[in-house]
Amino acid sequence: MNRRIANVNGWTIGAVLIITLLFVPNLSIVTGIFTPASENWGHIREFMLLNYIKSSLTLVFFTAIFTVAIGLSLAWLIAQYDFPLRNFMKWSLILPLSIPPFIGAYTYHGILNYTGIIQKTLRNHFDVSVNQAYFDIMNVPGAIFIYTIFLYPYVYMITRIFLSNQAASLVESARTLGKGPMEIFLKVIVPISRISVIGGVSLVILEVLNDYGVVKYFGIQTFSTAIFQTWFGLGDLDSSIKLAACLMGIVIFILVIEWILRGGKKYSFSSTKLRPLPLVKLTGKKAALATAYTLVIFTIAFLIPVLQLLDWVVLTFGKVPMEEVLTYTKNSIIVAGTAASLIIFFSLVIGNFSRITKHKFAKILPKLTVLGYSIPGAVIAVAVVTTFIAIDRYLAPVYLFLGLDSELVLSVSLVMLISAYIIRFFAIGYNSIESGYTKIGTDFRDASRMLGVSSLRTFFKIDIPMMKGAIISGFILTFVDILKEIPLTLILRPFNYDTLATKAFQYASDEKIMEASQASLLIVGVSAIAIFVFNKLLGEGRE
Amino acid sequence: MFIDIQNMSFSYSNSPANAVEDFTLTINKGEIISILGRSGSGKSTILRLIAGLEMPKGGSFSLGDKTLFNNHIFVQPEKRGIGMVFQDYALFPHMSVQDNVLFGLPKMSRSNKLKRVEEVLELVELEGYEKRYPHQLSGGQQQRVALARAIAPQPELILLDEPFSNLDTELLVKIREDLRRILKKANITAIFVTHNQNDAHVLADRIVKIKDGVIDQVGRPCDLLGSSTDEKGDIELLPEKELVSV
Repeated sequence: MNRRIANVNGWTIGAVLIITLLFVPNLSIVTGIFTPASENWGHIREFMLLNYIKSSLTLVFFTAIFTVAIGLSLAWLIAQYDFPLRNFMKWSLILPLSIPPFIGAYTYHGILNYTGIIQKTLRNHFDVSVNQAYFDIMNVPGAIFIYTIFLYPYVYMITRIFLSNQAASLVESARTLGKGPMEIFLKVIVPISRISVIGGVSLVILEVLNDYGVVKYFGIQTFSTAIFQTWFGLGDLDSSIKLAACLMGIVIFILVIEWILRGGKKYSFSSTKLRPLPLVKLTGKKAALATAYTLVIFTIAFLIPVLQLLDWVVLTFGKVPMEEVLTYTKNSIIVAGTAASLIIFFSLVIGNFSRITKHKFAKILPKLTVLGYSIPGAVIAVAVVTTFIAIDRYLAPVYLFLGLDSELVLSVSLVMLISAYIIRFFAIGYNSIESGYTKIGTDFRDASRMLGVSSLRTFFKIDIPMMKGAIISGFILTFVDILKEIPLTLILRPFNYDTLATKAFQYASDEKIMEASQASLLIVGVSAIAIFVFNKLLGEGRE
Repeated sequence: MFIDIQNMSFSYSNSPANAVEDFTLTINKGEIISILGRSGSGKSTILRLIAGLEMPKGGSFSLGDKTLFNNHIFVQPEKRGIGMVFQDYALFPHMSVQDNVLFGLPKMSRSNKLKRVEEVLELVELEGYEKRYPHQLSGGQQQRVALARAIAPQPELILLDEPFSNLDTELLVKIREDLRRILKKANITAIFVTHNQNDAHVLADRIVKIKDGVIDQVGRPCDLLGSSTDEKGDIELLPEKELVSV
């Protein structure tokens, strides 16, 4: 009996507490299913629901296939081969992640529309007029294109790190067994990177299901747009919560598939010696091909949209006062930085709990927190607002005692926005931290404890330094995602508190695409710098 | 009796069968015990149970005059005063040799700590390697650092998990003898796990043969000679270094 208690330690208490806080708002969706259906809901169910499911699943399916194809092939090229521009490409190929898909969408639309650079050049310089229908990307294939080019880095990044660190002995033994590059790729690389690919692509899928900006701009009916329409258009929050519950159903289905695909077969390597994969030098045609492939992806996914944004910034310079821009930038960095740090801290606690507790419960529980990522920002917003107003009511006597003359303190502060970010983006940080824990295994921790060092000190002296890569990559991914976030920020920000993303979104939705370029480019810039720093730190002692 | 293990048993949460059953063993101070068995026989689990890294289902274990577990007590691994050398050594890759050894030393003055590091590195014949990092060392050197690190806090018992599995034959013979010399010189009680009969015979004062989680035979090396082995002494030829499902 007492021995069981010995198992319940600080990690368990901390993890359960955090998971509960992250999970409670999700419950509002579950309870929403049981509220009586309104007239709207009957209409939605009968005429629209099937369409939402169809278009959402089409977007998810094709985006998943294309991101895996691009992400995995790039990861393998960079991890295994040396070719011209390889070192530059290694981190540049992550950069498309710094462009929010909605900014990418309006930029590409701007490039391809009738007054865009391509049509204008063809008309003015070559006297060629092409039917605009060929350049129309405001449709489902267009959205898949946008998602693929701006989201593939999730698959690329996670898989590349895995391959660089873990594949050495397997690839080398395959080579000594006389296998060629193609065979190694199909028979060794694809199977062993399955877990990282699944990890990456599940992030992509969740991003697609949650996206509001692209589908709204392109006029595609999906679950997210339907939820917003029902809430703000029809004023029917109950029905939009029901739609969110359907969306959650799809997400749970996807998570179950992910779990089946990788659960139970969670590979950890028996060797604690991590050895980087030595690079094979490509020459001649092969080298040119490798460079060309990476260059094409980089150009389409980063260079073209950024150059277009730069062009617009130059055209509209001075229209938005500098001081204003600086304030938005500062606000963005503060909220995203704070939320990302907290997410990583919580992930470390929960991840460690899940790793050291040998109970099924400890493996399943953290999965619940990932659900926050499946709920559209707008619905999390309602749940969080409701919760915070309740807390404020509860704390009213305390505010009075402290001499504050307002009844609403927390619910008009940044605390509420940051809490919502944590719930929404927890999965991003946690995935990274969890795979970091999987990579280092438990031997080093056991070794430290056998030297008489406490669990807590081991955590700070051994786990954290060895997890540096996972911590930094988790932080960057989360930070960049929060920087790009739209619906939560729009609804939960304190009065007059603007971030870069809300500003860019406002301009773009007012059809002032050019004015939106400044804030957009700053988002891209800040994210790109973050990614650069991350790559620098991560690169140390690795290759 | 210095170490007294009574009826220790253990099962993994995903399997109803006992991985270790009624393991009973007493050990004298300074004795070197080898636990010999095939892979999957439960020998490493026994080591992890003694270390406190796994929680036994039943039984008791005392070291000196301290009870480390019984039906009411479970002492956490860091409070047991037991050292361990891991199969892959688990040297902290972000720390130098000196820092690895320093890491486990109890509170004392910096100069005393450094003196102790010097002592143990001398014992394992690695003077001058203080500033090196684990990846700059050979397999044999890494193994000796792991041993020095485990010995440095002066544990009452040291556990070694397959200490020779990553060494080539030539090195193995020397290190095996070195290890016995080092352990005897420091008068440390040791339990090591191996699948190799030769290792057990050269190093151990007493051998405990394990089969399917149960003690099969216990005796001095000379008494147990002639059991079924191949000429290399391996009773286990299956590859152990492959992906493991957790």
